[in-house]
Amino acid sequence: MKTISSPKGSKRRIWAPYLLILPSLVYLAMFFAYPMVNGLLLSVREDGALLTLRAEAQRDSLKTGQIPRGAQVSILDQQGNLIAPEELALGNLVTEGWFQIRGQDPAGETIEGWAPETRIRVRETNESGLPVAGTVRPRIGSDDVFTTVHAEPKENSEALGSLEAQTPVEILDQVTLEVWYRVRGQVEDQPIEGWVQSRYLQVTGDGTQGRVNRGDTSQYTTKYFQQMINNRFFWPALRTTLLLMAIIIPVQFVLAIIMALVIQANPRGAGFFLYIFTITLGVSDLAVGIVWYSVFTQFGYLNSILQGLGLISGPITYLSAAKQDWIIMAIWLAEVWRATAIVMVIVVAGMQAISREVLEAAEVFGATLWQRIRYVILPLLRPSLQVALILRTILAFQVFAVVVVLSGGDVVTVLANETYRQYYDLRNANVAAAYASLILLLSMFTAIVYLRVVRSQEEVAE
Amino acid sequence: MAEIKIEHVTKRFGNFVAVDDVSLTVEDQEFTVLVGPSGCGKTTLLRAVAGLGMADEGRISIGGRDVTYLPPRERYISMVFQSYAIFPHMNVFDNIGFGLKVRKVEKLELERRVREAAELLHIEDFLDRYPKALSGGQRQRIAVARAIAMQSQVLLMDEPLSNLDALLRLEMRAELKRLLQEIGATTIYVTHDQVEALSMGDRIAVMRGGAILQYDEPSVVYDMPANQFIGSFIGNPPMNFLRAQVQREDGRVNVRIGSFTLTPSDGMLPVLKAYDGKPILLGIRAENTEILNHQAHDALEVKILVVEPLGSQNLLTAQIGEETIKVSTHPNLAVRLGEVVWLRFPTDKIRWVDRDSGQVLYP
Amino acid sequence: MTTTVKTPRPVVQADPEVRAIHRRMLRRQRLSRAMVHLIAILLSLWVLIPIWFTASMALTSPTTVRSYPKSVLPFIPFSTDTMEFFLKSRGILPGITNSVVVAVLTLALSTLIAAPAGYAISRYIFRGRDAFRLSILAVRAFPIVVLSIPLALIFIRLNIYDNVFSLAMMHTALALPTTILVLSSVFASIPYELEEAAQIFGCSPAQAFRRIVLPLVLPGIAASALFTFVLSWNDVFAASILAPLENRTLPVQILITLDESSEPYQFAGGFFMLIPALIFIFFIRRYLFNMWGQITK
Repeated sequence: MKTISSPKGSKRRIWAPYLLILPSLVYLAMFFAYPMVNGLLLSVREDGALLTLRAEAQRDSLKTGQIPRGAQVSILDQQGNLIAPEELALGNLVTEGWFQIRGQDPAGETIEGWAPETRIRVRETNESGLPVAGTVRPRIGSDDVFTTVHAEPKENSEALGSLEAQTPVEILDQVTLEVWYRVRGQVEDQPIEGWVQSRYLQVTGDGTQGRVNRGDTSQYTTKYFQQMINNRFFWPALRTTLLLMAIIIPVQFVLAIIMALVIQANPRGAGFFLYIFTITLGVSDLAVGIVWYSVFTQFGYLNSILQGLGLISGPITYLSAAKQDWIIMAIWLAEVWRATAIVMVIVVAGMQAISREVLEAAEVFGATLWQRIRYVILPLLRPSLQVALILRTILAFQVFAVVVVLSGGDVVTVLANETYRQYYDLRNANVAAAYASLILLLSMFTAIVYLRVVRSQEEVAE
Repeated sequence: MAEIKIEHVTKRFGNFVAVDDVSLTVEDQEFTVLVGPSGCGKTTLLRAVAGLGMADEGRISIGGRDVTYLPPRERYISMVFQSYAIFPHMNVFDNIGFGLKVRKVEKLELERRVREAAELLHIEDFLDRYPKALSGGQRQRIAVARAIAMQSQVLLMDEPLSNLDALLRLEMRAELKRLLQEIGATTIYVTHDQVEALSMGDRIAVMRGGAILQYDEPSVVYDMPANQFIGSFIGNPPMNFLRAQVQREDGRVNVRIGSFTLTPSDGMLPVLKAYDGKPILLGIRAENTEILNHQAHDALEVKILVVEPLGSQNLLTAQIGEETIKVSTHPNLAVRLGEVVWLRFPTDKIRWVDRDSGQVLYP
Repeated sequence: MTTTVKTPRPVVQADPEVRAIHRRMLRRQRLSRAMVHLIAILLSLWVLIPIWFTASMALTSPTTVRSYPKSVLPFIPFSTDTMEFFLKSRGILPGITNSVVVAVLTLALSTLIAAPAGYAISRYIFRGRDAFRLSILAVRAFPIVVLSIPLALIFIRLNIYDNVFSLAMMHTALALPTTILVLSSVFASIPYELEEAAQIFGCSPAQAFRRIVLPLVLPGIAASALFTFVLSWNDVFAASILAPLENRTLPVQILITLDESSEPYQFAGGFFMLIPALIFIFFIRRYLFNMWGQITK
């Protein structure tokens, strides 16, 4: 007898769902969790805020301390150090080149060693452009005609001998070195000294002074949040966002529940009405802004209708800097118009889940329409309303294009709009991230409050 | 006085006539069962009485008050729903007290009546529980208690036992019957289960195709069905119907089944005379058939095809010519498959059916 | 001859008082039905009239758009000049192309990734299922605004900034939770017994899926794909952060040129962006409710 599914087969099956959800998990981790964490860090962490000073001109040498970005330092010494070829592309490097050369000293002995690029004039290159031969340069403004040849491409390495100016040399090899500086600076009035790479310094003047251009260590900071709060648009944006939430959401819920009750009453053409009510679900907030702009603009429909009715004699300007209240009202109408659909869909879905007999029972036992709504429908819709409320609140923090269209961008502004402005107009990604983080915090905070409030009500009920 | 009077009620859904010109009177405190196969219109009729689906034509009155077009809340009725329709967000107490609360019954009175109803249904210990935590049988009791707590004179029940398992259904059936006798409300009870109908109703109305075919006491409906459909629908096993032929021989009216000749009771003769030379159906209940192990002049020879022991009885399926007949016998009676036995039909238990109309003929 | 035990028909009394009560009741019923209808119509007008206004502006001549006072009656004179002017404006056709490319990439990518997960949620009970569902809901609730800026910086670092593909990847991340939930409800609506039956009759699980489940869920998948399309088509914020330079989508192009553009251009643009919503929502409206029913559970 063959069995239809062996126990082995059923055991293997357990893995199937994990394999099936794996792509989503990986995708969300890559494109959601990772950037989300990054975004939060962006708002609180300053990259390269501190520069580490080393005891010697080596990356793995002991730390002597850290100096903040922008600090002034004096340069005490300098030295070239090998760097990896891929780092050569970094900006702001100060480099020096060294050639490995072979030539004869005045005594006629062949010397092979390293000399700085500045001491050799290249005379010949091979087909790939690499220097192969040259002559020793005379030192300008100096009587010393000799150039020291070192054992290693380092100023302080052992001297093997010296070559006279104009001596022809073979060039065997070349390296590029990054200059390290020994610097001295002040941190909290304490002097601090150590070696740093040239890439982090802006050397000024005669080469004895410098400024820390960027650091190699990041630091947590509240400065982006401070910048955000100190921005003159911050408080208006926050206030308007909260005000809009407060006036939009209640109206939306009332409208959505009425719509859902109308659908529930199943009038003729209920399917058609349902479609109409859901249309705005698919309308972008930019389009919504334009739609309502056509109503409120100076030569728009509102003025046309009022004038047609003889209520006004000429067009009134509604959307001007002097009439913030009108702009807020226009945004209010536009948002109620657009985003009621999502609440309605959630409420209707919730109502469909209520058993028809339960509603009939309420009716048979004598409940009036209002009593049915109050005692049966609304309590049973509570989970749906809760979801809708959380979702709507979170979406309300993201109102953006509607505001841009109706207010021109800064007469009335909201948090999302400021995020965009900081990123796009002011090129300040960190402050933009601070706005984004604030929006996230507010969203989570309200969601938790809603969940708490509802749960504690249930506890009281039980 | 809460007599329910349904007069010429018709209810359509589009072109489909769900209830077709139905008239029915349920006396005060009477327990009427509406029974019929699914789609026969029994629930639609009940909902018209409840006000959950208004009648298109006709009149419904309760206790002499015309309620045809009144909304449910103005009919002062209560109801038990098929799915119980317990409010999932209220505890048992609030569920039972719901109708009283929305009618603004005074608080102490409400509490007294809720407790009373809960005690009647033995659920007084669960009053502060939520329906989620209760079994199907307990929810059923809540639904009944909620209906009873209203103390309305009219109680409607829409297949209240159909979602219970067999054992629980049996238990609740007896309990409901006791309870309803106790409270004495005028009750309409809808079911598709003929056993429930027979065992519970004071009267049962058999419905089919939107019409009431027969409305009478259970024993009458069982014993004297109005037509062939009721005979097969009510009772288990269904009534047997055999093809027969009426023949007048020597001035007597006889009925032939194959080669067997049967003499009808005298009372039926005037009716059967009209069918002289015509085909007719003979209806007989399985338990009304006598089984003989020997030939007799008034017994019909049959061959046993199936024996189904049911514990309290054995149900035999026997072959007569090309037809089969169900016969119930004492469980101790030993019969073997393929055995030939003889059946005797007591003439007063035979029902004669017009083959064209399906109507049962009565003197 | 034949008698039935049917109740004799009582004659309904043609009592004028009773008839008056009937009439009153019927009137009351009709009145409440009419009230419901009236409210439904008012609410519909509230939704439709603004669309009507924009459509009228977009489908008339630019001169009429600038005229004042405007006629409330639409399309007088009917003209495609405004739309043509808009479509021929600089950056609009490339914007439309970009929008469509991004939206199509998004719907393909998100359906491909979400379908297996949706199937897993609807068919298997496995440890972590609820946690997975819950985290998906949480992701759904995170604001787009928060995601856009870090993604932009990451894309700049990876040198894929201002690129339709990277924008599509971002949109996929936004659409994925919704798509997974919709598809799981679509799969859940196909009884598992059907698959089991197919397996009993000789199909492998994969065959059972391909021959039984797939044909049945195709409309649902199409609906969710349309929804994803609309979501991507409508996005302004993420698109204007992630691709604001050479590869603007239509909404970004309109937003960025908003200040210097004329009213006919704006209204035509607004109307053009409305069109997919009007069409697609019609096709997917049934599934919207499935989806939200699912989420509230």
